Amino acid sequence: MLRFSCLVFSRGAARRFASSFSSETALPPNLRLPSNLVDPDRLRRPPPPEDSSLPLIRKCDAALPAHLRPVRTWVDTLESKDSEPLGLTELHPDVFAVTPRLDILHAVETWQRNYKRISHANTKVRSEVRGGGRKPWNQKGSGRARHGSIRSPLWRGGGVSHGPRGPKSYYYMLPMKVRVQGLKVALSSKMAQQYLHVVDSLNIPTPDSQYLLELIKSRHWGESVLLVDVSEEFPENILQATENLKTVNLIPAIGLNVHSMLKHEAVILTLDTVRFLEEKLLWHDERYTFLYPLKLPYSDFP
Amino acid sequence: MYKMSVRLLTLRALRGAPGLCRRTPAVTGGFRAAYSAATRDQRSVITESTDEYKFVERLIPPTRIPDPPKHVGVAPSGWIPPAESPPPLPYMIRRSRMHNIPVYSDLTHGNRRLTLVRKVEGDIWALEKDVREYLRQVTGKELPTQVNEVTMTLKVKGHFEQELKDWLASKGF
Repeated sequence: MLRFSCLVFSRGAARRFASSFSSETALPPNLRLPSNLVDPDRLRRPPPPEDSSLPLIRKCDAALPAHLRPVRTWVDTLESKDSEPLGLTELHPDVFAVTPRLDILHAVETWQRNYKRISHANTKVRSEVRGGGRKPWNQKGSGRARHGSIRSPLWRGGGVSHGPRGPKSYYYMLPMKVRVQGLKVALSSKMAQQYLHVVDSLNIPTPDSQYLLELIKSRHWGESVLLVDVSEEFPENILQATENLKTVNLIPAIGLNVHSMLKHEAVILTLDTVRFLEEKLLWHDERYTFLYPLKLPYSDFP
Repeated sequence: MYKMSVRLLTLRALRGAPGLCRRTPAVTGGFRAAYSAATRDQRSVITESTDEYKFVERLIPPTRIPDPPKHVGVAPSGWIPPAESPPPLPYMIRRSRMHNIPVYSDLTHGNRRLTLVRKVEGDIWALEKDVREYLRQVTGKELPTQVNEVTMTLKVKGHFEQELKDWLASKGF
């Protein structure tokens, strides 16, 4: 998020606009910024204008609230490196333009890290340490301090009095609606920072990793890219191309999560993924509280 | 989908249970032979039908909350529908998922009364100003308010749930 806050205040921009800023918002003079902090080429493509000539490929399926406008983005293609955008698409504002709740993002990210954690740290208590049943010397008369066992926590080699005790689980569940809101906030943040791109499908002409890397470099998508598609079967070419790449990863839409979105700089969704995500995430805004678990049948689910 | 399995209970299953057949052994033997022949004929004509499942299906509840029916003005229960187009104000207050106005009263420590306005979008400070002004006209007192810009909620000291609900409904939210 430092990048987000430094979006406008990069060193180049600071030099241009320093005079127009008041003293509170200008950067301190002794601040050192790396020159590659914000890639200015990435900001070169503005969002599509109102009167764009490209066709609107997809409109929102769900009903929009009356006071909100859909978010419009370009639809690119992976077929060739320097192709123009195919068209425009409309994204639902309740999924891709929600308030940037960083606290919810933090909560969901820490939950994702910790709920699977089982720490196996274990120490022996004085009763579990081998030995130490007998009183080492008489209570009185020996001149030494009084002790009852050689394995008490005071002794070297004795038990630990308040140490970690056995496998401990850090499992907890955040409410479903909080997790859903976390996904929406993550998508909206990526959208707002222009790290989210929509693509018609994940078909590429060659199974060459170099082709993908050059495409990403030429389009200034970022260092790491997460490609999301709806189905779990991906085209062969993209599977082979991303197999040996560490920074470019594939994920099906059901596996989309906040940690992966934060880990990768750019998130690429296909049009089918956008439709799937909108349908699934907007359902939570207008559903009843569950009467019984979802495994049992409901009339309009799944 | 769950298939209906139609199980035919035959007397054959009950045959082993003592005390159910209280007839004399000779009569039961003849009766049993005749009856087993009849059930054998019946069993060869088993029909399995899933048509009756519609009676089960219509009882299964939906997950989506339906849109309320169109009312002109106030509904008989007192529910006021939102305006057709959002009012031209710098803020917007959405309806809850049950299509109600999101104003809630809270009582903590037995004596701390709060009114909470949730689901605010837009300029929350303008809403706070209007709420303070309206409540000053209603009560004559300057009430402390708290704006939370992160969660976009507004808290007012005191119980003013009904007044704020009527006021927001009159505005068209």
